[in-house]
Formats: sequence, C-alpha cells, structure tokens
Amino acid sequence: MLSIPPTLAATDVASYLPVLLLITIVVGFAATNLIASALLGPSRQGDIKAMTYESGMNPVGTARKRFNVRFYLIAMVFLVFDIEIIFLYPWAVTFRNLDPSLSDATVWLGRILFFILTTVVAYIYGYRKGVFRFD
Amino acid sequence: MIEKIQALWPEIALFVTACVVMVIGLSPSAAVRRLCGVVTGLGLLAAGALAYTTPAVNPALPGLALYGKAMVAGIGLVLLLLASGTVDREYESFLARGGEGAGGQGRAEYEPLRSTKGEFYAFFLFSLTGLMLTAGATDLVWLFLALELTSLPTYVMVTISSGRDRSMEAGVKYFFLGAMGAATFLYGFAMLYGGTGTTSLGGIANALAAQRAAPGGQINPIAMLGLVLSVVGIGFKIAAVPMHFYTADVYQGASPSVAGFLAFVPKAAGFFALLSLCAAVGWGPTGDTLAEPLRSVLWVMAALTMTVGNALAVVQTSLRRVLAYSSVAHSGYMLVGVIAGPGPAGGGTLMTSGVAAVLFYLLAYGLTNAGSFAVLGCLERVRPDGQAEELDSIEDVRGLCQDRPLLGWALVLSVMSLLGLPPLLGFFAKLPLFGAGLNAGEYALVVVLALNSAVAAFYYLRVAAAAVLEPGQVGRGPVSVRPTTARWRPMAAFVSAAGVVALAIYPVTGWALFGARQGADARSEPAQRAAAEPALPSDPHAASVGATPPAPAE
Amino acid sequence: MLLWLILIPLIGAGLVPVVAKPYVRTVAYAATAGPLALALYILGSYSFAAGAPEALTRVARWAPDLGLTLRLSMDGVSAALVALTAFLGPLCVLGSKTAVTERVRTFYGWFLVLQAAMTGVFLARDVVLFYVFFEFTLVPMFILIALFGSANRRAASVKFFLYTFTGSVLSLAGLLSLAWYHAAVLPPGSTPNAGTWSLALSDLALAGRAMPANLQGWVFLALMAGFAVKVPLFPLHTWLPLAHTEAPTVGSVVLAGVLLKLGTYAIYTLVIPLVPDAAVAFAPAVGVLSVLGILAAGLMCWVQTDVKRLVAYSSVAHLGFCMLGMFAFNRSGLQGSLLYMINHGLSTPALFFCIGMIYERYHTRSMDELGGLGSRMPAWSSFMVFFTMASVGLPGLNGFVGEFLTVKGAFEAGALPGHDGPRGGMTGGVLGPWFAAWAVAGMIVAAVYLLYMLGRVVWGTYHAPSEHGGPHAAPHSASHGQAHGHGHGHGPDEPAGGAHTGLPTDLSGREVRVLVPLAALCLLLGVYPAPLLNMFADSVDTTASLMQGALRRAEQVRPEAPEAGAAAQPQSAGAGDGAAGSGAEVDAGEGEGVEGRR
Repeated sequence: MLSIPPTLAATDVASYLPVLLLITIVVGFAATNLIASALLGPSRQGDIKAMTYESGMNPVGTARKRFNVRFYLIAMVFLVFDIEIIFLYPWAVTFRNLDPSLSDATVWLGRILFFILTTVVAYIYGYRKGVFRFD
Repeated sequence: MIEKIQALWPEIALFVTACVVMVIGLSPSAAVRRLCGVVTGLGLLAAGALAYTTPAVNPALPGLALYGKAMVAGIGLVLLLLASGTVDREYESFLARGGEGAGGQGRAEYEPLRSTKGEFYAFFLFSLTGLMLTAGATDLVWLFLALELTSLPTYVMVTISSGRDRSMEAGVKYFFLGAMGAATFLYGFAMLYGGTGTTSLGGIANALAAQRAAPGGQINPIAMLGLVLSVVGIGFKIAAVPMHFYTADVYQGASPSVAGFLAFVPKAAGFFALLSLCAAVGWGPTGDTLAEPLRSVLWVMAALTMTVGNALAVVQTSLRRVLAYSSVAHSGYMLVGVIAGPGPAGGGTLMTSGVAAVLFYLLAYGLTNAGSFAVLGCLERVRPDGQAEELDSIEDVRGLCQDRPLLGWALVLSVMSLLGLPPLLGFFAKLPLFGAGLNAGEYALVVVLALNSAVAAFYYLRVAAAAVLEPGQVGRGPVSVRPTTARWRPMAAFVSAAGVVALAIYPVTGWALFGARQGADARSEPAQRAAAEPALPSDPHAASVGATPPAPAE
Repeated sequence: MLLWLILIPLIGAGLVPVVAKPYVRTVAYAATAGPLALALYILGSYSFAAGAPEALTRVARWAPDLGLTLRLSMDGVSAALVALTAFLGPLCVLGSKTAVTERVRTFYGWFLVLQAAMTGVFLARDVVLFYVFFEFTLVPMFILIALFGSANRRAASVKFFLYTFTGSVLSLAGLLSLAWYHAAVLPPGSTPNAGTWSLALSDLALAGRAMPANLQGWVFLALMAGFAVKVPLFPLHTWLPLAHTEAPTVGSVVLAGVLLKLGTYAIYTLVIPLVPDAAVAFAPAVGVLSVLGILAAGLMCWVQTDVKRLVAYSSVAHLGFCMLGMFAFNRSGLQGSLLYMINHGLSTPALFFCIGMIYERYHTRSMDELGGLGSRMPAWSSFMVFFTMASVGLPGLNGFVGEFLTVKGAFEAGALPGHDGPRGGMTGGVLGPWFAAWAVAGMIVAAVYLLYMLGRVVWGTYHAPSEHGGPHAAPHSASHGQAHGHGHGHGPDEPAGGAHTGLPTDLSGREVRVLVPLAALCLLLGVYPAPLLNMFADSVDTTASLMQGALRRAEQVRPEAPEAGAAAQPQSAGAGDGAAGSGAEVDAGEGEGVEGRR
C-alpha cells in the first residue's frame, strides 16, 4: 500500500524553485546540444540531408497513402497484452511477499485471475473479429 | 482491501455481463447473437439486486452509492429497452433473408467484422459500470477513472449508432470536446490533491475542514482553484454552460436511442461527481452554503445553464435539438439542488434537502427523457427516394396522437412531465428543487428557476401541440412516418409514460422518494454509522491508489 | 364524500374512451349529474354558518417525503363554487349536443377532467394540492380550445396556456416560500406546527401573517403573478378575449363560469389571508387596476362588433368589480365580491350559451351581420334580454345584488374627507368613494354597451347572413342548404337546419332546457340572495376581521417615521410572543416575523 505524505502544495513561489530549476536544465541541455553539434560537427549540406527524418519514408508527397488497417488492429492487440504484462509484473513481485495463510492472499489471486479473464475476453474478441487472420 | 470489493458487487456483475455479451455478440449463430439484449437485461437485474449489498462508503454522503447504483440499474433497464435494435438491425435481416440477391446460393456467411452488436451492448454496460462506480467513488483517482469509464464507451456508441456520416461527425466532436472536459477536471483534481495532500475524498474533507478551522479560515487557494476547475470540467458531463455547446450537434447526430442514453448517463455521472466533491467541501457548518468562490461559480453556472438552455431550445425546429437544449436546461435546474446542499440536519423531507432533490430529479429525468427519445426512436421517416431516416423535425410528430395514439400520448406525457406540469412526475421532481433552493436562501436563483420553467413551456408546448392538435397524417397523401422494426423500443416509451403517471400516485413515489432521501443522508455520525453498518471499512479515509476498481483495458 | 366530487368526473373521463360511441354522452351526463346531486345533498344537509363542517374535512397521507397531504375541506365559499361548477356541468353536456359532433370522446373526456380539476381547486386545503389542480385545469382547457375552437384557435390556446402557466409558476415559488418560512424561520412553538415542513393552508396562513412586511410584499407579488393573470386583472387580461372568442361554446361557458373564479377564489383564500399586510399595502394599486380594468374593458366593449368578444370584455370588467370588492376588505365588499363570482358564473355562461346557439345557426357572431332577431327568434331573444339585464345589474336580478355590495364595500373602505379612520359608516380601508365613483361610471358604460348590443342584435331591422350574400335575402327561399360552400352553414329559415344539426329557427326544447335553469337561478338569487350570503358569512367575517386588523396595523405604522417604526418593533415583538404563547391571537403580525428572523 502506497501512502502519500500529506505535503500541501504551497502558495509561495520559493517552493517551486526545483521545478524552475528542472525546466532551466532541460532547456539548457537541449540548447547546448544543438549549439554544440552545430559548432563541432562536420557540416555537409544537401537536399537529402535537409529533409525531415521520417523512418525512411518520403516526407514529401501525398499523405493520403493507403496502408493496411490491420496495422491498427495489431497495435491495439499489442496494447492489450502490453498492459497485461505491466499489471502482472508488479503483482508477481508483490505476491511472493504475501503470507499464504492470510485470506488476503486468495483475494489477491482472485483479482489477478479476474484481470487475466478480461484479457482473455479481449483475446477471444480479437480472434472472432479476425485480427489474427492474414489472408 | 476486501471491503472495497464488497462495495463493488453490482459493478462486477455488470462488468462480467459486458464481457459475456462481447463474446456472444460475435457468435456465428443468429439465435445466440439475439441473446445479447436478454443477457444485458439479466445483468442489469442482477446488478440491481446486488446494489442492496452496497455499504456506505463515502463518509460525506453515505447513502449515495446505494441509491445511485439501484437507480442506475433501474433506469438502465429502460435505457436498454430504448437501445434495443440500435445497431445491426439491417445486417441481421439481411442475413435472415439469406443475403440480398444471393438467390440460390444458400445462406449468407456471417462476417464478424460487419457486426457491432456485441460491442454496442458491452459498451452500454461498461458505461453503466462507470456510472455505478462514480456513485460509489471515495477517491479522486477512482472518481476520474469512473467518469472516464462512463464516457469513453459513449463516444464509440455515438459513432456506431447509425451508419450516417453525421454520427461519425458527432462521435468525433463528442470525443474531442469530452477529452477537453476530462483534461480540465483532471487538472482540477491534481490541484485539489496539491492543495490538500490527499486524493481520498474523506481526507480532502478533513483537510479542507482543517484549513477552514485554522486562524485564517480560508480554503487553500490552490485547492479552491482545483475545485472550481473540477466543477467546470464536470460541467461537460452534465452539459452545463460553458461546456454545453456540443450537446445539440451530438444528440442530433447520434441515433435517438443513443441520444437518450447520453442525456442520462453522463449527466448522472457528472452529478454524482459534483455531489461527492461538494460534500467534501461541505455545505458550511450549518449545512446551507458552500465555500464562497465555489458557490458563486455554481450559481452562475446554474443560472446561465437554465437560461441559455431554454433560450436556445425555444428557437429550434429540430425535435432532437429541442430535447438536447432542454437537457441542458434540466442540468441547470439540478444545479440549484447542488448549491442548496443537504439542508438542515435531520430535515425530514425532500423539500429541504437539495441533494435529495437532485437525486430524485435524476431518476425522474432519466425515466421521462428515455420516454421522449424512445418515441422518436420508434418512428422513422421515409424519404421520397424510399430511404428511411430518423425523425428529426417537430413537423414529423404532427398528428401522432391520431395516427399512433399510444406513442403519441406517450410523447405528450413525457414532454409535459419534462415541463413539470402537475400532476406528472416532473412536477414532483421540480417541487423539492424549489423548496431546497428557498431553504438555502437562494431566492434569486429560485426566481430564475421559476421563470425558466415558464419559458420551457414555449417549446414543450409546441411539441405537444404538434402531436395532439394537428390532424393525423395517415390517410392524407403518402405516409412519410412509419414505425421502425425495433420491437422493444415502444416498451421503453410505455414504461416511461406509465412511470410518469404512476409515480404521481403516492405508494410508488414514496419508494423512490425514500430512496432519494436516504441517498442524500449526509448527516449521520460516523459512530452511528459504524454501529449500523458492520461492513463499513474500518478506515474510510485510507487512500489507496493501488485499489482502483477493475477497469477494463481501455 | 368530497373525494367523490372529484372522482366521479374522473371515472367518467376514464370511461369515455372505452364505451361505445352512442353512450359517450350518457356517461358524460352521469358523470356530471353525480357531482351535482352530491353537491345538492351537501348544501341541503350541512350548515356552513360556522365554518367548514367537521364532516366535510378530509386529510389523507399522500407523499410525506414532500410534505404533501391530501387535504380536502369545504367551507361556505367553496361549497357555493363547487355547486356552481357541478351545476354548469350537465348544462354544458346538454348544450353541446349539436355543437360537438366530431371527436366526441376527446371532447367529453377532457371536459370531465376539467370539471374534476376545477372542483379540486375549490376543495384543496394543501397549497401544493391546490396548485396541482389549479395547473391541471390548463391542459383540458387548452385542448378544448385548441381542438374545438374556431379559426384562430391555435394562437388563442397557446396564449392562454403560456400566460397562465408563466404566472402560476411564480405563484408556486411564492407558496413554497411561505412553506419555507413556516418550516425554517418561524421559531417552533410560535404557531402549532411551526418548524415542521407543512403545506397545509391553515399552517401557512399563520406563517404568512408572521412574516415581516417586506417579505410579505414579495410573496404577495409572486402569488398575484399567477392569480391575477387568471382573474384577469387589467393589464394581464389580453389572453381572455382571444381565448373566449376562439373557444367552443362550452369552453367559453366553463372559462367564464368557473375558470376565472379560480383566480379570484385563489386570491380570496390564498393571498389575502396568507399575506394580509402586503394585501393592504398593495390594495390601492389593485384597486386602481381593477377600476382601470372596468373602464378600459367597458370602452373596449363599445367598439367590438363580435358579440362573443364583447361579452368576453364585459367579463374583464365584471371581474374588476370582483377584485375591487375583495380589496375593500370590509364585510360588504367581500360578501359582494363572492356573490359577484357566483352571479357572474350564472349570467355570463348563459350569455355564452345564447351566443353559441346563434353561432350554430348563422355561423357568425358579428353585429354587422346580425340584427333584429327578436322578430324571428322570440324565445331566444327573451332569454338574451333577460341574461343581459342580469349581467348589467338590473335590480331584481342576480347581478344587481353583487354589484351593489361591491361598490358599497369599495365606497366604505376609506375615510370620509376630513376624517381619519372608521367614522360615519366608513369601515376604514384604502379604497374609498373615488374608487366607487369610477366603478359606478364603469357600470354605466357597461349598461350602454350591452344595451347597444341588444339594440342591434335583438331589435332593429332584421337581417341575417345567408349564402346569397345580402342581409335581405329571401328568408323563405327553398333552395337553401343545397348550395352551401361551407359544409355546416344553415340559413336562418331552415327549420330542419339541413342534415347536420337539425336546429329549428327558434330555440329547440333542448336549448330551452339549458337556459331555463340558469334563468331560474338568476331570478332566485336576484330576489333572495340571503341563503348564499349566509353561507359566506362565516368565512367573510373571519377574513374581514383579519383584514381590519391588518388595516389597523398599517394605520399605526404609516404616520410614524421609519426610526420610530423600528423602535416600536421590539415592543410589538414582545407582545406578539405573548399572544402566541397564549394561543389566543392568531394575527399577532409583524412582531413574530422580527423574532423569527433570528
């Protein structure tokens, strides 16, 4: 159980100094990098070099290109399992520490089983909708 | 930790039902697919029965969860009747015919990708799950997740509710504006956390009370700013000015059944959230006023919402836009109750308790509004090219009382009840709002409320007059309005109409009123409560970020 | 028993949609005759000389969560008005036999609902119950006008609904603020039920009287916003002529006969006893408006050509008398006002019946097209003259007594020049001889326009419209009725009235049966109003003594400087407490209000 210390957000400006400091550092770091690379790096200019980097795709031209809608479906299904892992991992770490004799342990187990049930439902749903068919 | 689950049985029931529906909605067998609606209804019944196991979770409003959940299950059943047949009606009949033009090719294959039935009912249930969770929320994080769980499915429901472009437009509009609203109140919640140091509503109540008890006697400005932002953001859910502008477009774009859903579910969620937040602030030591800037904001919101909603409704010609703006106005009425608060301790009747008035008004509004949208959903208009489209204009209901007396009178009854004409349900719902407003000393607001109730007569009367007074259209030239094939929808209209009348007779009303009163009981002392409710969490203030309700993978 | 007065018409309304069509009218007769019999029985067997009889009070649970009770009671005033309502019921059914031939079920169903709702208003002793009935009269009336009215009926019905609904929502706010004051501000113990949420009229009356004057003023304005529209008081009257003109005959009859009385009755039972001090304070304004109404409506009548509209405007004038008498606050004024309500409820409906009978025959109500009907319709003309005379206030007929008493009341309700307070037969009050004088001027105007109308329609040269256009079309042309362009048109000379209505030239037996009871009552009340006045006596005495108390308080406060008034208040607060403690004095007044604000 996470307990949050009751720190009241203050109204005086001084207590927000760390935030200001962080912002300064972030901006400074980015600026330093840009300036340093401009000063230090070799500079070979060309049309291709000046183009925006788009993971190998040509950034100029029509944006109305079709690509398979399954990309989205795959991404969604990936998200389902991704979230499952994200929840399962901390659960597994904590579950080891629970006293097996406590009734709480059963509840914890029940909970994660319930959660896995929901992902199973999502899986069945995806399967029925034909997400995994690539014909 | 187990106590949290004990408070959540109705939600779990709904959630499991949603999972089941989602799967069986994609079954290759048409008979199994047809079970979707039935299973949804059974799930709602189960949730309604389980709602009575709900313990008092929120220390400030102990009765809210139980009443809220029971009411959601009840109104949910009516909304289910209304929502039946919204999606896939044409596709299923196409399949039943064996595929149009398929001739001797045998039966058409069922393609799951083209069907949205399972999703629709599942999202319906998810949204209601979120609404129930909102009613029982004890924590800001919980509250936020519950509100979002209520809203996210509705965006999808709007979009898939009909095949028209308009629904898509409405869905996208609704989604983006909803995201803005959510961002606003999330920001508010964050500041509230910053100003009080806890996300638990009980903890916030204690912290705010401590701040007010301190020598300065003021609520931390950051916390107050957070409260105001939360209220304004939640204003999106209840369609209150200044977050009302999406209402007409979305209600008009969605199919009537979904519009009826939208008019109740997010609104109820918003009011549950508002009541929970205001209860955390407390209506002052004597139970009559909220802390000052918050009260003013709510006051202005209420007055503007009523006035703007009614003024815009008067100039509409589309029946659905009329109902949309009238739903804005109704939010304004209910805000009066939120401002008024629970009234004096031990105030026996609803007439002194604004919270009880709001809770009862929600029930009445949900029932009545479902009826008016159901009548719209039961009919469709045939365009000259033979295509059917949904009813929209007030012209379309002309002479309805002659052509289809049952539907026509159901429409008239629900509209007159929305107007608040005695002795219909709407009147008995509005009455306590007047009483509570006066009791809280908000005379000006009550006058605004009264004048707005009168303005509302302009447009409600227009609808009723079109249905009652115009001669019937059947037998005069080509019939342009005909009933849809959704068989269960008229039931929603009739149930609503019966409720509007039956609730005016005491024994039924009393049950609902008693519930509302219990739901608003904000004054029971913790010690008494603990004695009365053994299942109460030992430490209701324990903020547990990890114990969020079982939210689906969104 | 009181409940049955409301339930019988409602049951009838429930039966109307299901019985076979030929029996609809039978059901309507039964459902209107039942309450009439019951009302007659009540009038015969109970005495109202000492307030509402115990047996005629009924309290039942309704919705305790809202503080609502089903509280019905009947005192002399409501008994008379209930009897009037019940009396007009069967006559309306009888009178509408030929006028209503389409949508018969709708018509009688809603008519019966209207009867029930109006009766309920007179019986209710719980303010919300009162409001429920009061508002619910709108719906049936709206439908009767909008479905069965003449050409401009939609606009008329909508205007009627919106005017009255808007006002009465404010009235509701006013009533509830009284309830709030009773529940939240009044210290417990100062009145029997103070501190609890109650909507009973008797409780709220005590609460209202304890209110401070400025609060009473607001409540008064809120209440009047609804009730003055219904009366209608002068600047708010514009819906009435329109509604009357467009309404079907029965609609007009009920509208004039009973519905307008709801406003005056509400003012008599809800406004004056509940906020007496404010009523005193606003009485001059109400008086001026009433007199203005009498005169303005009279002048408007003068220029009307539509007979029905003329009678409608005369209603505005008559109700002005009613208000004037009521706000005189003395015995004769109140007696006269109540009597006027009954009289107006007899003679004006009768006039509307007469006009309706003409309209059924000639399909016009224009004085330009009608004239000299006396020669062709002697029976009708006699009735018309009789009821007009009753309406003008010819001595010996009913109108006179009421008119005389109201004007007398208004005259006495003031100070003689050079004297302060009640002296020389004056009861004290805020009106006075000037108001009476102007009202009498209004009476003269009324006599002029009504006689002018009679002169044109009954006497004068005979002319009536026919499809041949001219007023001199041959009355015996045989080809009448065949060439009619407008389906229901009838010449004056068609004894059979074509196939549609079968109306004879002069009145049919049925029509005579409608008018004779009205005429008999007009005559009876004209020569012997004492039983009615005795019925009112108790209620009037209570109200008059209450109002005289309020007047005295106003007299005491007015001459003093504001500081002096403020200084005097704590003393009167003490006196008020003492009085409340002993429970002897109910109208202890402002003192308790000051105390209650703590």
